[in-house]
Amino acid sequence: MKKRMLATFAVAVLFLAGLSAQTTKINFQLNWSISGDHAPYYVAIEKGWFKEEGLDVNVMLGKGSGFTVQMVDADKAQIGISDAPVPIEAIAKGAKVKIVGIIFDKHPNCMFFWKDSGITKPQDLKGKTVAVPASDGHKVMWPAFAKLIGLDPNDVKFVNIDPTAKPAALGSRKADVVFELYTGKPFMEKAVPADQLGWIIWADYGFNAYAHSYIANDNFIKNNPEALRKFLKVSYRAWQYTLNNIPEAIDILSKYQPINRDDFVANLTAVKEFFKTDRYKNFGIGYIDAARMQDTINTVKEKGVDIKGDAKDYYTSAFLPNPPYKFNY
Amino acid sequence: MKKRGTLVGKILPKLLYAIVAIALWQALIMIFKVKEFVVPAPLAVFKSLFSGEKVAENTWWVHISTTLSEIAASYLFTAVVGFLLAILICWSKFLRAVLMPIIAVLNSLPKIALAPLFLIWLGYGFAANVTIAIIVAFFPIVLNTTVGLDSVDEDLLDLVRYLNASKLQVFLKIRIPNSLPFVFSGLKVSATMTVVGVIVGEFVASSQGLGFLIKDSQAMMNTPPMFASLFIISGLGLGLFAFIGLLERLLMPWNSRKEGGQA
Amino acid sequence: MKKTASLLSRLKTPLVILVLLVIWELCVRIFKVKEYILPSPIVALKHLFLAQPDANYNWLLHIRITLMEIALSFAVTSVMGIAIAIGIAWSSAIKKIVMPAFVFLNSLPVVAIAPLLVLWYGYGLKTNILIAFLVSFFPIVINTTVGLSEIDEDLLDLVKYLHGTKTQIFMKLRIPNSLPYIFTGLKISSTMCVVGAIVGEFIASDRGLGYIIINSQYTMDSPPIFAGLMLVSLFGVMLFGLVAAAEKLCMPWHFRAKGSD
Repeated sequence: MKKRMLATFAVAVLFLAGLSAQTTKINFQLNWSISGDHAPYYVAIEKGWFKEEGLDVNVMLGKGSGFTVQMVDADKAQIGISDAPVPIEAIAKGAKVKIVGIIFDKHPNCMFFWKDSGITKPQDLKGKTVAVPASDGHKVMWPAFAKLIGLDPNDVKFVNIDPTAKPAALGSRKADVVFELYTGKPFMEKAVPADQLGWIIWADYGFNAYAHSYIANDNFIKNNPEALRKFLKVSYRAWQYTLNNIPEAIDILSKYQPINRDDFVANLTAVKEFFKTDRYKNFGIGYIDAARMQDTINTVKEKGVDIKGDAKDYYTSAFLPNPPYKFNY
Repeated sequence: MKKRGTLVGKILPKLLYAIVAIALWQALIMIFKVKEFVVPAPLAVFKSLFSGEKVAENTWWVHISTTLSEIAASYLFTAVVGFLLAILICWSKFLRAVLMPIIAVLNSLPKIALAPLFLIWLGYGFAANVTIAIIVAFFPIVLNTTVGLDSVDEDLLDLVRYLNASKLQVFLKIRIPNSLPFVFSGLKVSATMTVVGVIVGEFVASSQGLGFLIKDSQAMMNTPPMFASLFIISGLGLGLFAFIGLLERLLMPWNSRKEGGQA
Repeated sequence: MKKTASLLSRLKTPLVILVLLVIWELCVRIFKVKEYILPSPIVALKHLFLAQPDANYNWLLHIRITLMEIALSFAVTSVMGIAIAIGIAWSSAIKKIVMPAFVFLNSLPVVAIAPLLVLWYGYGLKTNILIAFLVSFFPIVINTTVGLSEIDEDLLDLVKYLHGTKTQIFMKLRIPNSLPYIFTGLKISSTMCVVGAIVGEFIASDRGLGYIIINSQYTMDSPPIFAGLMLVSLFGVMLFGLVAAAEKLCMPWHFRAKGSD
């Protein structure tokens, strides 16, 4: 009798310990409103992969890379997505965050224009009017790209527009060029017929910085390294699955968010292009190339930001999944 | 004793108020250790304003004067458009039935949601911003003026009709003078809304101006000029509001006796 | 005779709106407007009422959420707005402190400080109501304050002569006198509250009509944008109408003296 009671008691204690033990709540701050490249997280939630690892992930919609940095720095979100140059600059200004993984390998920055504008190479941008939202990553990185292609950043005339007005700005020809991610092509095609839409991907002209990245709060890294590792593991697993199962991923996404499935399938298909690199094939999705990261840091330094410390203060590869999820495209 | 309303007597308390507010702001930043890329300290904001450097590709003066001229033009047109609409609504039952729902619909739409449409129809620049500001801010003037024109003492109305006054005479000599308090109330509300409307216009599309400056510095996480712009914008709203108050005192001097505080 | 007249007058607003919709449809067809700019109202409405093969938006949920936000915001804004105005009218000390702050606050474009608001208060209903309040409190406060101050001089003198106390003057004179102003303020604020609730959803929500609108904007999916906008303006007109109806109830004498005759 006593033995049984003891056994039951022991089981109960273990059970309760197991329950309370490891559900870590993570507020995950996206970089923007819902787009195709957010599908993996919903896939992971739908398939219970986060739960398996004891993570309770709350996905929060975003307002830009700067906002994500503010939220993660304030620990309102433990992990977030942000364009690499932004957290780098913020860290130099005292933000307590670090880059812990990469999303797009090839840089997705792009520019769109009407084919009849005669633009064939980025240098043709000289003297043209470019419409882009002020907080857009393209505007932030433009000086670096301009330098790369031999233009003075002030050689183009910028018009700040509301982010929702990108296709309208081009479609109505109120601007010659619109800066937008290549993955936004399906949406631009609603304003400019596909056969008249021209584009130039910055990476094709040597733009090598890093783009969307995962950042994490310093304290979270210190106190919950395992949870961070698990988060990245699930996320990259979800990326691998998503890229190989795009229609299914979008179906799942549409369960959680009001989206037009066809548009998003096209969008996610375009996203895939930026994961198809040798690096990701050989080293796994999310792999951080040290030289490229240093390049990105240097780009920020050239903007005039006082970069203190060394690269280790800005990013870490220690939490990437091991073994990595390779992308065999 | 009545001459306490001198210039110094008016400005001093307001100055004190501003100084206290700024000191509070500085204190809060220091107490909560707020980082500059979230909210800057007042000193940093002043420095960016007076540093003489270019900000967002242009000097401060260019941005301020752009927005200032947009506000001035918008407010003028808003008032005119608002008055005209109100008079039309009051004059004709038919127009009232047609215009009021349209205006109510228009006013319930968040204008920033129409950004792509505005860009396509209006492009960007001075005229576009003024148009958007008018659309944002005309409603209080229309509504208040309409109510003002409507609210006439019945007995007065009966008397005047008994004396065979024409509709026009009633309008000009009774309704319009009677509506002044309402009108000024509407003008005051629209003042701040005009400022907001101009900034919304600049957010939709612009290449200069304080709204442009806010977005640009926000993007660079360069908060001092951003906050400086916000303050200038609010200051402009305050200034316009005070200007209307001044106008009110000039045109309706009898009103200040009735202010609540005295009894 | 009177019944038909009043029936006709009740139908005026829906009729006007119907005519507007027809004009919209005609414009889209005649000018062959591209769908991403302005879809036909029929397409937008179809999106609302018929199940779509490539999207499932759960409109009822979002409508319910937005309606609740609008109702709560308007209630909070009206009550607080009027209370603040009473405070301002009561004491010129309060007025001097509070008024400049309010004017200052109201000139701030909410969209500019949106990220800060979310950073401090997070996503959710509270932040939504805060944003709607910031956008729509001002007309109520200003109009009510003016209403409480605008009293016939002779009447004021008479009451003071009869030794009316400040409270008596307030309760029996100022407040009844200010009703037209209050209702005008409420009417203005009603539509602005709708705007504020939607802007609040743009900024601080992942549900509601505002969310669908902004999401669809980023992905250039215009039928749901305009379906959402139609619903939003419908709510605005309804709320405006509700306030107008309440006005007629509270001040029936007021409407005999209306213009146009």
